[in-house]
Amino acid sequence: MIFYVTSILVILIGIYAVLVKKNLIKIVIGLSIVDSGVNLLLISIGYVKHGTAPIFSRPDLTAAQMVDPVPQALVLTAIVIGLGVTAVALALVIRLYDHHKTMDINKIRKLKW
Amino acid sequence: MNLTPVQFVAIPLFAAFLIPIVAKISKEAVKYIPGIVFLYLAYVAFTLFPKALEKPIVEIIAGFKPPFGIVLYFGPTAAFLVSMVMVVGFVIWLYSFKFIIREPSEKYYMLFMMLITGATGIMLTGDVFNLFVFFEITAIAAYSLTAFLRDKDGAEAAFKYLLIGSFSSTFFLLAIALIYSNTHTLNMADLAVKMQNVDVTTKLFILILFISGLGIESELFPLNGWAPDAYSQAPTPVAAVFAGIVVKASLYALLRLVFLMFNWSEVFYLLLVLGVITMLVGEMSAMRQHQIKRMLAFSSIGQMGLIVIAFSIATVPSLQAGFFQMVNHVLIKSLLFFSAGYLVFHSGSKDISALDGLGKEKPITSFFFAFGALAILGLPPFSGFWGKMFILMAAGNSHLLLVVVLILISGIIEAVYYLRVISRLYFYKETTKEVRRTPVSGLVAMGILTVLIIILGLYPNTILAYLKPAANDLLHRTEYINAVLGQIHL
Repeated sequence: MIFYVTSILVILIGIYAVLVKKNLIKIVIGLSIVDSGVNLLLISIGYVKHGTAPIFSRPDLTAAQMVDPVPQALVLTAIVIGLGVTAVALALVIRLYDHHKTMDINKIRKLKW
Repeated sequence: MNLTPVQFVAIPLFAAFLIPIVAKISKEAVKYIPGIVFLYLAYVAFTLFPKALEKPIVEIIAGFKPPFGIVLYFGPTAAFLVSMVMVVGFVIWLYSFKFIIREPSEKYYMLFMMLITGATGIMLTGDVFNLFVFFEITAIAAYSLTAFLRDKDGAEAAFKYLLIGSFSSTFFLLAIALIYSNTHTLNMADLAVKMQNVDVTTKLFILILFISGLGIESELFPLNGWAPDAYSQAPTPVAAVFAGIVVKASLYALLRLVFLMFNWSEVFYLLLVLGVITMLVGEMSAMRQHQIKRMLAFSSIGQMGLIVIAFSIATVPSLQAGFFQMVNHVLIKSLLFFSAGYLVFHSGSKDISALDGLGKEKPITSFFFAFGALAILGLPPFSGFWGKMFILMAAGNSHLLLVVVLILISGIIEAVYYLRVISRLYFYKETTKEVRRTPVSGLVAMGILTVLIIILGLYPNTILAYLKPAANDLLHRTEYINAVLGQIHL
């Protein structure tokens, strides 16, 4: 239970950063925090109490003693995707800074509905 | 070589990574790679199409049998959508041939191929996490393409798109986490069976996460703030890619998941309401735009609303109408974006007021724009007429008279803003501008689209016959489940 609460909390902190912070870099950090929160949630779904890594390292291990490997595989992929998105976001921040000479999102917003 | 559906994903991916290597040897050769890829894949798609109509092709990746491994499902719907992507992709490639001149073209083609990989992957995959991965491939390529021109507004639009897009992927991933914790499977067919045992509150929560996640990319009403900026700041062919490929792929993903897992009538009612609001808001916002590409972007949102309405009526004729309108929208909106791209290029300004009198100076480009505008309004000889007609008939048959009225009203709004541009093109006094030539490849691309629109308009029943299996495939989930898992009784 504590895992779920923690990961939801981490997600909420990230969303807070994205919505409230004005600095572009901090917004990108917020996005990363949201990603980490979701990854934590995925990992905790597959967690078995006192489980070991899902590898048959000892002959007496049974499948019931291992944590679920599928969420771990998912998280591995999700981390890579998150890294890609963060890299693109930071590249865009650099370009925005080049054009506007500011990191404040309020001074940048020109495109509107 | 054996023709299999996996090539639709593998070959564009391979081409994407081949392009930078080829670029080291010859910058010219890079330009031809996407064209060859599209021609070959169109050939594969049209060869496999009749087979998919007989029996859906299910391809098991790496020998793990479903529900454990990843499968590709090439049924009638996927066959139809993939063929559409290949044809439109080829036309867009023709158009970008001379359009992408300022920036290193290999980067553009690489991202373009990545985007095609993601979009075909979304259409083919039978695994919900795999769907997420392809979704992200498409999204990352789309963010980068939005900022491709390196200008001020492009970077801003891309950043906005990226912010909204990351939220959409977070929602999607949360939905997957919930699904996995409740059913312990990720295969979509298996999910359709096992989701019946999940309690309603959890299902509703998953559904909301899916709609907010995929609705962002498919331009559903409250979630489409990224679209007008991205469309208007991205290079013109990229705007056509968004309207024609990205949005359609994510809408298909949403519909597939809804039809497989949440086929309650209330869900379709919710989608119907969302579709109507999307259509009205899109058309009304389009009317008050001063820039031509933004106007087209909002019009595209309105058209997506119309398509969602058709799908949410959820009968075989309405699904057929929805698919027909999808083809229409892809062809006509690409034509409009293409010609608007050159109109902007000729007039030197993105504003509609700068287009005065271009009809006389640039007769061919203006003709294509006027042609597209009349087609999307639904005048009889063009395909747009049949798309709207079929949707209206389907809505009428389901006794949704209010929806019929609203579609007609939005048609009038559409007419107002498109005819306004046409009148500026032809009936306003011309201002002298420096005359630049429209490249031949652009004209050929627009010509192909025009011919396709006319053919569709004259022989709508030919394509409608192919759409019936596609509609059945999406509507009746038992076939999908049986094809993937073998015979299972629900």
